[in-house]
Amino acid sequence: MLSYILRRIAATIPVMGFVALFVFSLLYVAPGDPAAVIAGDQATPQDIERIRQSLGLDRPFLIRFGEWVWQLMQGNLGKSIFTGLPVSQLIGQRLEPTISLMIVTLIMSIMIAVPMGVIAAWKAGTFLDRLIMAFAVFGFSVPVFVVGYLLAYVFALEFGWFPVQGYTPIARGFWAWLDNLILPSIALGCVYIALIARITRATMLEVLQQDYVRTARAKGLGQRSILFLHALKNAAVPIVTVIGIGIALLIGGAVVTESVFAIPGLGRLTVDAILRRDYPVIQGVVLFFSFIYVIVNLLIDIAYTFLDPRIRY
Amino acid sequence: MDRRMLLKGAAGLGAMAASGGLSRPAISQGAAAKTLRFVPQANLANFDPIWGTQYVVRNAAAMVWDTLYGFDSNLEPKPQMAESAEVSSDGLTWTFKLRPNLKFHDGTPVLAKDVVASLARWAVRDPMGQMIIAIQNELTAVDDRTVKWLLKKPYPKMLLALGKNNTPIAFIMPERIAKTDPFKQIDEYIGSGPMKFAKGEWVPGAKAVFEKFTDYVPRQEPASWLAGGKNMLIDRIEWIVMPDPATASSALQNGEVDWWENPISDLVPVLKKNRNISVDIADSLGNIGSFRMNHLHPPFNDVKVRRAVLMALDQEEYMRALVGDDNALWKPLPGFFTPDTPLYTESGGEILKMKNLAAAKKLLSESSYSGQPVTCIVAQDQPITKAQGDVTAELLKRLGMNVDFVATDWGTTGQRRAQKSPPGQGGWSMFHTWHAGADCISPAPYNAVRANGDKAWFGWPNSEEVEKEVSNWFDAKTLDEEKVVMARLNKAALDHVVYAPTGFFLGYQAWRKNVSGITKGPLPWFWGVSKSA
Repeated sequence: MLSYILRRIAATIPVMGFVALFVFSLLYVAPGDPAAVIAGDQATPQDIERIRQSLGLDRPFLIRFGEWVWQLMQGNLGKSIFTGLPVSQLIGQRLEPTISLMIVTLIMSIMIAVPMGVIAAWKAGTFLDRLIMAFAVFGFSVPVFVVGYLLAYVFALEFGWFPVQGYTPIARGFWAWLDNLILPSIALGCVYIALIARITRATMLEVLQQDYVRTARAKGLGQRSILFLHALKNAAVPIVTVIGIGIALLIGGAVVTESVFAIPGLGRLTVDAILRRDYPVIQGVVLFFSFIYVIVNLLIDIAYTFLDPRIRY
Repeated sequence: MDRRMLLKGAAGLGAMAASGGLSRPAISQGAAAKTLRFVPQANLANFDPIWGTQYVVRNAAAMVWDTLYGFDSNLEPKPQMAESAEVSSDGLTWTFKLRPNLKFHDGTPVLAKDVVASLARWAVRDPMGQMIIAIQNELTAVDDRTVKWLLKKPYPKMLLALGKNNTPIAFIMPERIAKTDPFKQIDEYIGSGPMKFAKGEWVPGAKAVFEKFTDYVPRQEPASWLAGGKNMLIDRIEWIVMPDPATASSALQNGEVDWWENPISDLVPVLKKNRNISVDIADSLGNIGSFRMNHLHPPFNDVKVRRAVLMALDQEEYMRALVGDDNALWKPLPGFFTPDTPLYTESGGEILKMKNLAAAKKLLSESSYSGQPVTCIVAQDQPITKAQGDVTAELLKRLGMNVDFVATDWGTTGQRRAQKSPPGQGGWSMFHTWHAGADCISPAPYNAVRANGDKAWFGWPNSEEVEKEVSNWFDAKTLDEEKVVMARLNKAALDHVVYAPTGFFLGYQAWRKNVSGITKGPLPWFWGVSKSA
């Protein structure tokens, strides 16, 4: 297993290399100029050209890419064109809010969605099943920003239970931290809950038809024991897979959620950087997300071996 | 229901709740009364007001860096760091003396050598500064408090250049910082203004923090824009960047922020209904909407085509698209200069009052236009440009022109408009923008009205007559002389159609009622602002 893990981690390096090259090439050919943004609306063409030269944006693609890779090999993601701050510092500043948002969303979604899917499968065809699946369709269909505004109106403006916006670092207290994350996590989690609940239901329906479940019932085991101890464990592999795939959904959704709730996370950093053509930041963030995605997939693969002893690496 | 309607609806419900007693105070506010939380117009993405000339950078910099002179609300330059200024009888030698006891935020005294280095860096990037460099003999520090600027020919607008509030402002920095190449960004933010920048708390894209500089010695006169005594009544100012207007609106209603610089017009009615919120015009100098035509290539290299467009356009259509039904927010502008300012003129403005499509079509048929596509670039991530672009596309179609509407983002627009190649080869025919009214009070800070060909702003208009009048204005010695020249300049610029003004419009700002001292101006002034618990 250890050698498998090491191989997988080593395999991330060429993957990230390709991602880096791809992103760098895309940015090079994409229209837009950070110098024009820096110079502002009143700048003259001469100002823009001077800024381009001072930033080295007038140099050939291969030289710029080579310099960036060389920096990367030394563990340096470069500096933001706009702020002049190191990209690693900018990512570090934004990491905690995004990771916090994703963790709270993930935990909350699993705690809600898995029981929902199990109950829907158990009560398949009933009103309860249809109600749960209707919620799942709603969760899938309604955009994150709509849910976000509604939550902010009801629970922040009307009831005053939660703040509308912002982020409090966990160092300032667990509850203060959680206070800022509950509404955005619900908004972000809707799609995720729907996805996991639907997969859980479908997989559980299949498992509940299996002979060993029938045998368990015949032996007189309780419904709760059958559902959660026997069936759910055997249905877990596809559920864990979809949880892993869903991390990409979370990353995408975080961009919108962070804007709606003014959370200073990586999603907003990425959008701002793209709009300004802050190339080093875009490249750094994309690499970082790629790395996270690869690691999450590795963890999911490892989880398989615990859930299904037949799986070996 | 589109996103804009939803924003309006959600915020409307919020206002109803907040004003109708449905709401309870949010449990998560709790900031000290001496901390002011401000939502700026945009993200503070960098903090070098000479290198990057965005308004948001200037606005933040005005707290941190002081100036020798500063515009007051009458648009007159008044001494700020300067104790006195003298000009020799031949107009060739300017001598500035600094106020005593000025200090930078790092505790070092402000010296004449700091002023020399700062003015030298500023002058490279500023159009008026460049004019001064062109006639400069020497800029030197005579002693610790005295600066001499020796010129080859008189420059009557010197104090205007040093006190103006359009970007880049002539901020004074410590010499070691000011020696940075003007095309490279500084990384130390030490000024001598009334607030210090808390660099350690800066999260670009999210938050910027300013703390009171306790050693600041304000002037004894009342504050007036950049002039007078900048007395800080707030200990800490937090700029909280909110990209989503609905969130900013909700945060203001919930008391999580105190002051929102530029609420969008859709949300203003909602804010006005809230009994805890004040709403007022932000800046009575407002803005001038515009679209710029490319004078280098067909069809707009033909003045008849440009004039045909001007004849047909209806400024009310543009202004309605920008500000909706609120008549207090706009007025027609048959000229280029800011209404209600001393040099305002409507001379030659008849063409903008015509709104005559038939006459415009006739003129277009007499022109060289032969149906080629008009590449109209619109930055749709900026609501002001998008709204104007939509109106222009309709206008050109009605006029019988073939519109190639390119909706893109500001980053792309900014790059493409700098291209001089023909529209079909990566260039452009027209793009939309707007100019702050504060920058359009005279030709000095006003790039867009110049018509000096290759050196002109994007679109590169070329008119000897316009340039002659600009030059005459710089040489004018009295206000009356200036007014005469300005009338000729406005007419010449309209005859040549340097650009197309789409109207004059204002914007609102909104703040919690426990905040007082907020005044109107082209920048948010923080001195004199206080906040009760």
